[in-house]
Amino acid sequence: MSRIRDLSTFNAVRTAGLAKLLPARPRIAVGMGTCGAGNGAEGVFNALADAIHARGLDVSLVRTGCFGFCAEEPLVNVWIPGMPLVILHRVRAEQTGQILDGLAAHVVPETLALCKIESWDHLTGQISYGHGFPSIPNWNEISFFQGQVKVVMRDCGLINPDDVEEYIAVGGYQALYKVLIDGMPELAIEQIKASRLRGRGGAGFSTGAKLEFLHKARGERKFLICNADEGDPGAYMNRNEIEGDPHALLEGMTIGGYLTGATQGIIYVRAEYPLAVQRLNAALATARDYGLLGKDILGRGFDFDIQLVEGAGAFVCGEETALIASLEGRAGRPRPRPPFPAERGLWGCPTDINNVETWFNIAPIIARGPAWFTEMGSNKSAGTKVISLVGKVRNTGLVEFPLGTPLAKYIYDAGGGPMPGHVVKAVQTGGPSGGCIPREMLDTPVDYETLGKLGAIMGSGGMVVMDDDNCMVDVARYFIAFTRSESCGKCTPCRVGLDKALRTLTRITRGEGREEDLAALDELGRMIQATSLCGLGQSAPNSMLTALRHFRDEFEDHIRAHRCHAGVCQDLALSPCENTCPLHMNIPRFLELYREGRLAEAFDSVIMDNPLPASTGRVCQHPCDSRCRRKGTDEAVNMREVHRVIADAVLLGDAFEESVARILARKLPATGKKIAVVGAGPTGLTAAFYLALLGHAVTVLEQRPEPGGMLRYALPEYRLPKAVLDREVEIIRRLGVGFTFDTSVGKTTTLNDLEAAYDAVFLSIGTWKESHVYVPGTELSGVWPALTFLEDVACDKPLDLGSHVVVIGGGNAAIDCARTVVRKGAAATVVYRRERKDMPAIVEEVAEAEQEGVQFRFLASPHRITGEHGTVKAIEVLKTRLGEFDASGRRRPIDTDEVRVVPCSAVILAVGEDVDRDFYAGSGLTIKESGILEADRYTLETSRHNFYAGGDLIAGASNVSNAMSYGKNAARNIDERLTGEKRFDSIMPSFAYDQTVPAPPSTARRHHATPAPAATRAQTFEEVMPALIPEEACEEAARCLRCDIREPIHAAQN
Amino acid sequence: MSQKISVRIDGQLCTAEAGQTIYQVAQAAGRHIPALCHMEGLSSAGSCRLCLVQVEGLGRLLPACTTPARDGMAVTTQSETLAHNRRMALELLFSERNHICAVCVSNGHCELQALACELGVTSVRFPYNYPRLPVDASHPRFVLDHNRCVLCTRCVRVCDEIEGAHVWDIAGRGIASMLVCELDRPWGEAESCTGCGKCVQVCPTGALVEKGRAVEEMTKRRGPVLHLAERKEARP
Repeated sequence: MSRIRDLSTFNAVRTAGLAKLLPARPRIAVGMGTCGAGNGAEGVFNALADAIHARGLDVSLVRTGCFGFCAEEPLVNVWIPGMPLVILHRVRAEQTGQILDGLAAHVVPETLALCKIESWDHLTGQISYGHGFPSIPNWNEISFFQGQVKVVMRDCGLINPDDVEEYIAVGGYQALYKVLIDGMPELAIEQIKASRLRGRGGAGFSTGAKLEFLHKARGERKFLICNADEGDPGAYMNRNEIEGDPHALLEGMTIGGYLTGATQGIIYVRAEYPLAVQRLNAALATARDYGLLGKDILGRGFDFDIQLVEGAGAFVCGEETALIASLEGRAGRPRPRPPFPAERGLWGCPTDINNVETWFNIAPIIARGPAWFTEMGSNKSAGTKVISLVGKVRNTGLVEFPLGTPLAKYIYDAGGGPMPGHVVKAVQTGGPSGGCIPREMLDTPVDYETLGKLGAIMGSGGMVVMDDDNCMVDVARYFIAFTRSESCGKCTPCRVGLDKALRTLTRITRGEGREEDLAALDELGRMIQATSLCGLGQSAPNSMLTALRHFRDEFEDHIRAHRCHAGVCQDLALSPCENTCPLHMNIPRFLELYREGRLAEAFDSVIMDNPLPASTGRVCQHPCDSRCRRKGTDEAVNMREVHRVIADAVLLGDAFEESVARILARKLPATGKKIAVVGAGPTGLTAAFYLALLGHAVTVLEQRPEPGGMLRYALPEYRLPKAVLDREVEIIRRLGVGFTFDTSVGKTTTLNDLEAAYDAVFLSIGTWKESHVYVPGTELSGVWPALTFLEDVACDKPLDLGSHVVVIGGGNAAIDCARTVVRKGAAATVVYRRERKDMPAIVEEVAEAEQEGVQFRFLASPHRITGEHGTVKAIEVLKTRLGEFDASGRRRPIDTDEVRVVPCSAVILAVGEDVDRDFYAGSGLTIKESGILEADRYTLETSRHNFYAGGDLIAGASNVSNAMSYGKNAARNIDERLTGEKRFDSIMPSFAYDQTVPAPPSTARRHHATPAPAATRAQTFEEVMPALIPEEACEEAARCLRCDIREPIHAAQN
Repeated sequence: MSQKISVRIDGQLCTAEAGQTIYQVAQAAGRHIPALCHMEGLSSAGSCRLCLVQVEGLGRLLPACTTPARDGMAVTTQSETLAHNRRMALELLFSERNHICAVCVSNGHCELQALACELGVTSVRFPYNYPRLPVDASHPRFVLDHNRCVLCTRCVRVCDEIEGAHVWDIAGRGIASMLVCELDRPWGEAESCTGCGKCVQVCPTGALVEKGRAVEEMTKRRGPVLHLAERKEARP
């Protein structure tokens, strides 16, 4: 090792470094950043070292930093002379032998290969590794890296951070050499100004301007500080940058020192980053040894040294004046500016503070010039930004895109999209000081201006992705709790205001929120923003205010309905399954009652929560499965099937009469109030059931000749035998509900008539009108809307389907149509414009349809239907490709020019349904812009007095249990409005049953009913899915983990 | 010798000396700006946020007590927004600890109370935190009642800057911040305290009071502190 005094010694070091980077023997580098080490890189390194030693191999083994793809750690780079550098991922210690085996034969284990690098632009220098391995993708061909531009992370994961010679080999310290030789600091400052580099710590102030301030400031001593006190939860880019390339920071700061006349630099680094501290200390020592730091740097007569100070981890020390206070040995509390640090900073001397990443950008800008830098990024925000992408995405890690790249690219391309079965709800940028951006705004470019306008901030570059499992109220509460505990307490708004905000938010998450809380939080948040002393307080309310702005519904759900749909706020839910059930059935209760052999009580529990238990037991979308905690061990408890067994046993068995008698006994005395329910679908039947129990005289008006709505006319017999539905309706009749059939509101009777005759009217009309599709040829004979088709089948009308029917759509209606077609003896093909996983239909139904011979054609959208003599002959479909993710979190299908002709005899359009809104005209009801009837989300009141609406009418086409939940809510609200009392809960039964958590839990696997063989069942309309037998159902019920039982932890804590 | 500058305060043109803060310029011009942590003669903390003013052309509100006036500056010290923020800051202070005027020794002589009257804070919308806080009566002549403390740090500054003893400081952070005597010991056992009582005289509320005085007598004497500050300033 030699001290560099002139160009020849510099070049000699460079040559030595190159020989290490590209030696004449294979080189293996293990990613040993904190992320790698946390995933077992230490073990991999040791295993490699042992094996190399044991085998006596001539292999160079080194440690590097992280290449950015933290989710795939440990990453191991293997370079065989003349070949590309191959990056292996998720390497385990026992796989090291496999890696070494191939070296002699110039092969790498392809199963472990993530990508390869043929040549690399270190910006300050180029490295060519070699060509080969055609089957391994280039690094920027895999989705995580595609589009990334590594400026800050130019060396991370490729060079040995502990070896300054390797840094010099890739062009390091050349920029420093250049400015020292040029001897024109003003010119270099101009270059940095021209590059439009802005502070990467979050505030985004022009770095060039700051350097200029310090350059011009008068003072005997001037200080340069690097703020490496990275404290945002979920943000760790600075840590990895330092761990991977510490000399880039030292070089940037030393250049800064020369440009500004500072002689002393200080790196204020988190003490919680031991590896970064260790690597920095090592780098500082070697830099001094090589003459890159200290006296007479590079023999050019410039003196500059850097000192390392470990911060104690206070978030507020990210604020520059607090950081300075901390460096001076005082408590880390900020002071008002002006004076700014450039005027009076550390020890009263002019000081410039910049973030780690800002310093990393200096050397490349000097080396490549400002024009190169401004080519990247958006108009006002040049260059790139390293973002730590964490949260609910498949790929987490550090991504470096040019500024101005849309959020969607981070989340869906680099991040690989949401976790399976979930949708992205929001993105939180900028750490606790940042804001939440909703899914609908993911086309937002990530740059300083745009994020600021949205109330979020760039911050230091944290990006936390949240999905439907995240409660935005809880998210707001979390971040306020963080900033509250990190507030230094100096100024009133931040100290007391954040405490008040936290108390209010905590109350809301406990279901004790009040309507006025939201306005108060908004007012308080704005006051804290406007009046706090430092950046911490000024930005602390951002996450709360943006959540309030974009997710107000969720806050209202907590306050008005005491519901947390994400299931995070435990005080608002009995159990995850109950919380997910639209009817909020007490699922653990009926499972336990049934397990205890108390069938009659289990039935009472079920039917009082859900008046159509046998129908829903067959056709419910069973969202309960999705949140069942049992999924953590094996599979969700089959709650729907147990519920069906209970309902069938009573409704179709001998205990029917006595059960009816028990329900009738719950009926409250007659109130004398008359209520009309319009529509005898699941929503209307549910409302009628509860309203009758509450003692009201209920009349259901129905357009069709029989009750049940979609259950009767749209659901095929093989899924829901109508005999089952009839029994359920029978109970509702026995409760005294009157039915008037063949009556159409708007035609045979008017809303005014209803208003005159009834005390309250509940409108629950279904979505019977098929959404129109603009496809030429729909006028041909042989084209059916799905519901018309299903209704015609249900009513046994004769149909001429021909031999091959194409069904367009991917929902339950499409699958029902296809399976019905098969039963009618024709072949069926379902054409859907997205992929199979995007289908809204119940997964099991799709599988059963396939077994029955239904063909599927995905990624195809209808182009036109062609006919002959007025009858369908074929359908032309366009192949689609998937584009950007849309607001639903699925990729948007885009039509291509590729046309395929599918010959067919009939076409069924199942592309969605709509309400027939004819009756709105002159009804006095307010219609929203979207064409949907306006009704209060919670009380279901419409704009017309005493008129309530629910179900598809206000929510759009949905499913049975969702529709029924509106009926249940309507009954509660109508009763409360008519009687002025909260009586709904008084009709509900209560049971005493075992309240202990099963220990150990049952080891039984999930029980599935086995459908009849596809070949036989596809011939008839007999019910496909038999019920579980009682023994199986009982075992299934016993699988419940009883999340409804709360250990008395709360009591102990309070 | 010092340079003259002109500043417009609430529309009124004022002449001031370079280096003066907005607060000082306003005061000289007879414009009153509410403030709690600020006190003439002591360094400014800028922490209570009551003296925030609007400076034309700047988006952010600035504390009048720490911001130097600049030539040509136009400052608004009274507006509906500022009054709203000030009222809210007072509400936060009232509800942070146990400020119950009716049973306070400083009732009628309290700056917090006076500010509430001045700014029209007639009720507090936030629920009180009602923390359980100690009272340190270990000193023979004085009492420290944390229930009434607003963390203005006047006592910290007067003791450090005028008396030179630095008996007081703030420990903890955020809502848990507490005034501490030396390294958190009872005041009566403090070794550095000279017993001068300056901290008591500058305390705006009933947090630092003299023993043996009735509510009516609980006035604070600021004159000596100001005088000492002036003499210290004049010393070469």
